[in-house]
Amino acid sequence: MRQRTKLSQLFTVSALASGLLLAGCGDDGKDGKDAVAGNVGPTVVATTTSGFTITNDAIFVAPDAVTGDDITEALALALFDLPENALVVLPKGRFTVTEGIIVNSAQGLTIAGHGINETILDFGGSNGDDAFRFTGGNGITIRDLGVYEAPKNGIKTLGVDGIHITYTATVWEGPLEADNGAYGLYPLNSKNVLMENNYAYGSADAGIYVGQSENIVVRNNTAKNNVAGIEIENSSMADVYNNIAVGNSGGILSFDLPGLVKAYGSNVRIFSNQIYANNAENVGAGTVGEVPPGTGVIVLAASDVEIYNNQITDNETTAIAITSYFLIDDDVAGYPAEFGATMADGWSPTVKNVYMHNNTIARNGGNPRGALLQPIIDGYTSAFNNSGMEQTFPAILYDGIGELLSNFGAQGIGGFNAIVGPDAAADGVNYDPYGAGDLICANSNINGNSAPEYDQVNTGLVYPVDPADATFDGNGDPAPQLLIEPMIGTNYLSCTQPRLAPAKVTFRNNVYGCTGDDLAEAACAL
Amino acid sequence: MRNNNNTTAVILATSLFLAACGGGGDEGGDSSGGTPPPTGGALNAGAGSPTGAVGDCSATTAGVNWDALMTKACPKLSDYNLFTDASDPTTGPSRGGVPYDLSTALFSDYTSKYRFIYVPEGKQAGYSVSEVLDFPVGTVISKTFALPDNTAMRDGNELVIETRLLIHRTDGWYALPYYWSSESDATLAIAGKRLVDLKTINNQGEEITFDYSVPKQADCSSCHAIVPGEAGDQIFLPIGPKARYLNTDHTYPDGTVYNQLQYMAEGGLLADLPSNFQSVEKAPVFNDEVSIPSLSSNELDDAARAYLDINCAHCHRADLTLPAGYAGAAGTSGVQLEYGRDYATDPGKFGVCKTPVAGGKDGYPFDVIPGNPDDSYLLFRMTTVDNRHKMPELARNTAHQEGTALIRSWIDQLPSAGCSPSTP
Repeated sequence: MRQRTKLSQLFTVSALASGLLLAGCGDDGKDGKDAVAGNVGPTVVATTTSGFTITNDAIFVAPDAVTGDDITEALALALFDLPENALVVLPKGRFTVTEGIIVNSAQGLTIAGHGINETILDFGGSNGDDAFRFTGGNGITIRDLGVYEAPKNGIKTLGVDGIHITYTATVWEGPLEADNGAYGLYPLNSKNVLMENNYAYGSADAGIYVGQSENIVVRNNTAKNNVAGIEIENSSMADVYNNIAVGNSGGILSFDLPGLVKAYGSNVRIFSNQIYANNAENVGAGTVGEVPPGTGVIVLAASDVEIYNNQITDNETTAIAITSYFLIDDDVAGYPAEFGATMADGWSPTVKNVYMHNNTIARNGGNPRGALLQPIIDGYTSAFNNSGMEQTFPAILYDGIGELLSNFGAQGIGGFNAIVGPDAAADGVNYDPYGAGDLICANSNINGNSAPEYDQVNTGLVYPVDPADATFDGNGDPAPQLLIEPMIGTNYLSCTQPRLAPAKVTFRNNVYGCTGDDLAEAACAL
Repeated sequence: MRNNNNTTAVILATSLFLAACGGGGDEGGDSSGGTPPPTGGALNAGAGSPTGAVGDCSATTAGVNWDALMTKACPKLSDYNLFTDASDPTTGPSRGGVPYDLSTALFSDYTSKYRFIYVPEGKQAGYSVSEVLDFPVGTVISKTFALPDNTAMRDGNELVIETRLLIHRTDGWYALPYYWSSESDATLAIAGKRLVDLKTINNQGEEITFDYSVPKQADCSSCHAIVPGEAGDQIFLPIGPKARYLNTDHTYPDGTVYNQLQYMAEGGLLADLPSNFQSVEKAPVFNDEVSIPSLSSNELDDAARAYLDINCAHCHRADLTLPAGYAGAAGTSGVQLEYGRDYATDPGKFGVCKTPVAGGKDGYPFDVIPGNPDDSYLLFRMTTVDNRHKMPELARNTAHQEGTALIRSWIDQLPSAGCSPSTP
C-alpha cells in the first residue's frame, strides 16, 4: 500500500509538470490483479540482462520513452520523496539527462535499468556536474545501467552506509581526454561498499575510486582506458580482487593523500587481478596526473597494503611502484609547515608494510616514462645505476627514501614524531626507524618472461634503506644509488609480512567478500 | 516568471493589503504592511500557528496556512497564503512574517533576494553564537529571487523567477522550490527549471547573458544538509540566518532602521540575545557596491572570510561549530572555510598549497597560492562556468565579478607560503 501512496503523490505532482514521462505500473487494478484484496505479491514483469527481476510494484520511470528522449524530469520526479525499499526502474534504450540527479537519504533504494548495455543515460548535454549523487542513506543498490559522458563524476555516493553498484557502466566515449569528467564510480566517505561486475571506461581521473571509506569489496570489475583504473584512497579494510585493469595510465592505485578528513587508510589487499598494458598517456590533473603512464600498480604514501597473486604484464614503465610522498614533494624540511596539521591527524609521507608476493610479472618496463620518475628512469636505463650498465627498468620499484630518512632517526625525519597527534600515535603512526613490521617486502613473485627476456625482470631500490650505505650529494642530501637486481634475488625487499585481514561488507544484512559470499572463491583461498 | 515593475507593485500591494485587512478583520495594530513596529506585543501576535492537523492546500485561511506548510507539498505557492498579495512575494508578508537581509550573501547570478521569516505565534527562535538561529518547529523561511534589469539599480524593474521555502516540520527542515510560471502565482517545481539567455546589465554597465537554474527539490540538500563523518543521517539546516549575518541594520517597511537581531529580540521572535550586544559576532557588509581597493588589510581579510563562509562553507566545513562528527558535504575535500576558523593554525584548510584531490586542472597546481591568484584553483573554480570545475556547484551560471575580485585581492595579500612565487 505504501507503493500506492507513492504513486498517487507522483501523479499529483505530474499534473503540474508538462511533458511528463512518468507512469506507474499496476496501480489502478485495471489488469485485475494487483488491486484484488489478498493478492499474494508482486509479479515479475521483466528480467535484466544480469538476471535481476523487475516486479510490477516498482516505480517505472518513463516506461514509454524511446531512445533519444529526455527523461530528466521523469527521473527527478520519481526520485522525490521515495518510500523505503523502493525499486525504481529505468526504461530500455539510450536517453538524455540534462541535469545532475541527486538522491538524499534513501533507505533501501534500488535503481535498476534493464542491463549494462540496455539502459544508457547520456549526460553529455547535462547542465549539472555529477551524473548521479547519493548523499546519506543506507542499503542503496545501483544496477544494470550505463552512465555516459558525465560532466564531472559518474556516480558519486557521499556518506552512504551500504552501497552496492553492480553491472553498471560509467563511460566517456572516444579517446581518453582531459575533459572526460572526473571519477567514474565514486563512493566517498561511505562504508560497506560493494562494487562488482562494473565497467569503467575513459575517465580523466579514476574509473573506479573509493575514497575515505571503510569495509570495501571491489571485485569482478573491468576498468579500461582511464587515467587510473581502480583507486583506493585514504580508505581502510578494502579488498580489490578478480578485476581487470587494462589500458589505463595506471592500473590499480593505493594512495594516502594529505589534508583529508580521513587522514590515512590501512589494510588494503589487491589480489588476483589482471593488470596489463596500462600504457595510456596520462591526461589527468592533480596528484593522479603524476602517475607515470605504463604503471601496473602504484602505492603512494599508503601503508598496510598486500599485493599478491596478480597477473601484472605488459605495462611499459613498471609492474609495481612503491613510493613515499617525497617523490611528489621533496622539500623534506618543509613538511611540518606544509603538512603539519594533516600529519598530526596521522597522514604520513612514508610508506610502510607493503607485501608483494606470488604475483606473475612479465614484459613490463619496455618503454618507461613519466615526469615523476624521469630522473630515476634515466638512471636505470643508462650506466648511472649501481650495476654500471643500462638495465631494463625495474618491474618492482621502491623509492626507499622515506625508509632511509626514518632510519636516520633524529638526523632524518625522527623529529616528525613531535607532530603526530595522540590518536594517530596510539594507532601506530610514527617516524621511528623501520621495524620488521614496517618493511616493504617482495617474495615468491613469478617471473613470467621467457628466455631471453627472463633476466629483465628486476627489483629496484632507488635509495639504500640502511644509513650505513647512504651517500650524499653536494648539499648533504642523500643521493639516489639506483640499486637493482633480478626480481628473484635476495638483496632487496627480501622479507615477509603477516597476511592482512579480509575486508567484509555488510549490506542489507548479508555479508560479502572473502569471509562472506565468496568464502569458496579461489582468489580468497590464496 | 513574473515581471516586477516596482512602482506598480507597490500600489498593487497596498490596495490588496487594504482589501485583505478589511476582509480578515483579526487583531488590530497592523499598520505597516504586515510588519508592526518592534514595540508592544510580539511581532507574530495573531499570526496563528500549526494545529497539528493534516493541512489542506485549498483551505482559505485568514493568515498563513500553517497546517498545509507543515504537512503538504502544495502545488501553488499561493496555497500557503504567505503574502498579502499572492502575486507578489517580494513584499507584504502575511501576519507574522518579518523581512530580513544578510550582511554578506550567497551570490546567485546577480539576483535580488527578498527574504522573510515566519515564526508561529507564541514561539520564538533561540540564539546561537555561530550557527543558524535555533528556529522553532513551524518556522517558515521564504526567499524570492528576482533578476534586476540593471544590477546597479535594484529598486528598478526586475524579473521575479523563483521562491524557495524552508519549512521547519516536526521531523526536520524541508525545502520546496516554486517557479513563477505566470504573473499571478508560482508553481511547485520538484524537477527544477532552467531558463535560458537571461540578461542583465551589471555594475560595470556591461550586458551579460546567462542561463538560470531553479534547483530541483532534491538539490536543496546539496547545500543545506550537513553529513555525519560516519555514514548515517544527514541534518537539513538553513544557512543564512546566523547571528553574524543578521547583525546589521535593516530598513523596515515603515521606515524604521534597526538592527535585525535587536528587532527580532525586542519583537519577541528571538530569545537569549546576549545583553552584551558587542559580544555578538558580526560579519562585514559586502555587496557589489563595496570598493575593494578602499578596504584596509583587515577589512579585506574579514570581507573575504565572510564571503567564503557564506558562499562555500555550507559544504566546505568541518565540525568546528557543528555537532561532533558532522561536516558539510565537502568536508571530506579537506578545504574548510568557516568564518570562525583560525587561518594561522592550518592554512592548508583554506587550500593553501594544497593539491586538489578530486581532479584538478592543468595550470592550477594548488587550491590557493598566496601571492598568485591567477594560478590558484580555488579562484579558477569560482570564476569558470564549466560544470566540471565550477564552484559553487549549483545555481551559479555566471561569474560574480565583485566577489572574485575580492578573493583575488585576498589571495594576493595572504602571507607567503611554500608554494608562493619566490620573491626577488
